[in-house]
Amino acid sequence: MHELRPESASVPVAPPRSRGRAIVITSGKGGVGKTTTTANIGTALARTGASVVLVDADVGLRNLDIVLGLEARVRSHVLDVLEDRVSLDDALVTDKRVPTLRLLAAAQTREKDDVDTEAMRALIDSLRERCDYVLIDCPAGIEKGFQNAIVGADEAIIVCTPEVSAVRDADRVVGLLGNDRTSIKLIVNRLRPQLVRKGKMLSVDDVNAILRLPLLGVIADEPGVIISTNRGEPIALDDTSSIGAAYRAIAGRIAGTDSSAPEVPAEPTVMQKLGSLFGGRRTS
Amino acid sequence: MSARRIVLTSGKGGVGKTTTTANLGAALAKAGKRVVLVDADIGLRNLDLVLGLEKRIVFDLVEVVEGRCQLRQALIKDKRFESLSILPAAQTRDKTAVSELQFAEVITQLAEMCDYVLIDCPAGIEHGFRNAIAGAAEAIVVTTPEVSAIRDADRVIGKLRERGLPLRLLVNRIRPEMVRSGDMMSVEDVCEILSAELVGIVPDDEDVIDTTNRGEPTVLVPDSRLGAIFEKIARRLEGEVVPFTVLSAPGFFGRLFGQRKAG
Repeated sequence: MHELRPESASVPVAPPRSRGRAIVITSGKGGVGKTTTTANIGTALARTGASVVLVDADVGLRNLDIVLGLEARVRSHVLDVLEDRVSLDDALVTDKRVPTLRLLAAAQTREKDDVDTEAMRALIDSLRERCDYVLIDCPAGIEKGFQNAIVGADEAIIVCTPEVSAVRDADRVVGLLGNDRTSIKLIVNRLRPQLVRKGKMLSVDDVNAILRLPLLGVIADEPGVIISTNRGEPIALDDTSSIGAAYRAIAGRIAGTDSSAPEVPAEPTVMQKLGSLFGGRRTS
Repeated sequence: MSARRIVLTSGKGGVGKTTTTANLGAALAKAGKRVVLVDADIGLRNLDLVLGLEKRIVFDLVEVVEGRCQLRQALIKDKRFESLSILPAAQTRDKTAVSELQFAEVITQLAEMCDYVLIDCPAGIEHGFRNAIAGAAEAIVVTTPEVSAIRDADRVIGKLRERGLPLRLLVNRIRPEMVRSGDMMSVEDVCEILSAELVGIVPDDEDVIDTTNRGEPTVLVPDSRLGAIFEKIARRLEGEVVPFTVLSAPGFFGRLFGQRKAG
């Protein structure tokens, strides 16, 4: 039928912009990889052409700018916007590599108590008018910073490592998120398949036996992630990295373009281990 | 005589504050000191899990502050060391349930009962952080050799110095082979950036994940490499001059056969 209607050819492929999705990335426990996850999912989504704004909600201890390598370009921050010193559009920093990716940095020299929770909700709402995805990088803990990070989000991604303490904290956060979110999904981060096999680490199933959340993805523990984080180059941009591919698959599942079930990383083969051994020696 | 009151803090979460608190506490107790560990992470407590004491919690810090039990009733003695106890945090309350003054008062009372009070600080620099440092007389800043952890540590060090708290640095999760290949900052780099005195270097060790999950501090594992390291840190706290061992990456054959040199 479409072919019979010539005017349909001039209709843009993308539907007219509706409000973007606001997703908070949270965990309870710190250091499980929220910021790295936010940077990589954001980068992967933006690479597909979606417009993405990343919001660093960790006022006072910001790090998302570093992980994206944008720290030198940050001129203003969330509180500059909320206190009307800078317009929202002027406060957004465009990514160096992916032009549809933008960052709203947190203030570094202020406190989380300086941010009004309702003002934060309004800010996320206005960002949703400007892009397809707003990803909010939540601080550790469940204090004011957590409340400010979750208030504007109607979806949540829980990042959890296969450790008893991280699972306990994640479970607490799921409880605190309540029933207001349209979706709460799980990413299991820093899995070491060899340790799982030896019975020295919880498996993905162990983690999810407690949390009971739809699984969005599993990321293996590899030194490459630390390196890319320190260098400010999200590993999602690395087409040769299996971790990068895992982040791109997660982005696809979020966007609804990838219907594959999350893969649990396999143990490296003996040859891969030998390869990394010699690779490690070469670079030293 | 009043105890040493030391807060373990970091800014960034997940760098190993709780694991360090548990192990350092166990090492000090092993050396014959009377130690109380305080979990300041109200709402997200974990120190009890790391020590395997979670099933024995009856009362918590908030109940002590609210006068619903005696301080001594809330202390849980470790199964393995008579001289090691913990004061657990409340799990179903939030950090504003306790004020800085109330927290400091509890620490002062604990200091009358033991030689060391180690306070496990929550991540961040919010109310929970202010509580945790309120009762402390000195600090150990735990950091990992990562840019984000160091930036957060720097912010915390600024806040500690504002309050005049003396502090020392513990660099956690060093991977010597990554330092050698230039993919990780060295301990010297970290100390220089933060311009702080060092109290310990702890290598990244996958056994820690396992011992932590099982609630058994690595200090208790016989002949463990990390156990020896925490014992050295404990001796440094006691004022002894203990040289820092150079962390060598395992040699080629060591890596092939899974042997590990002691750090």
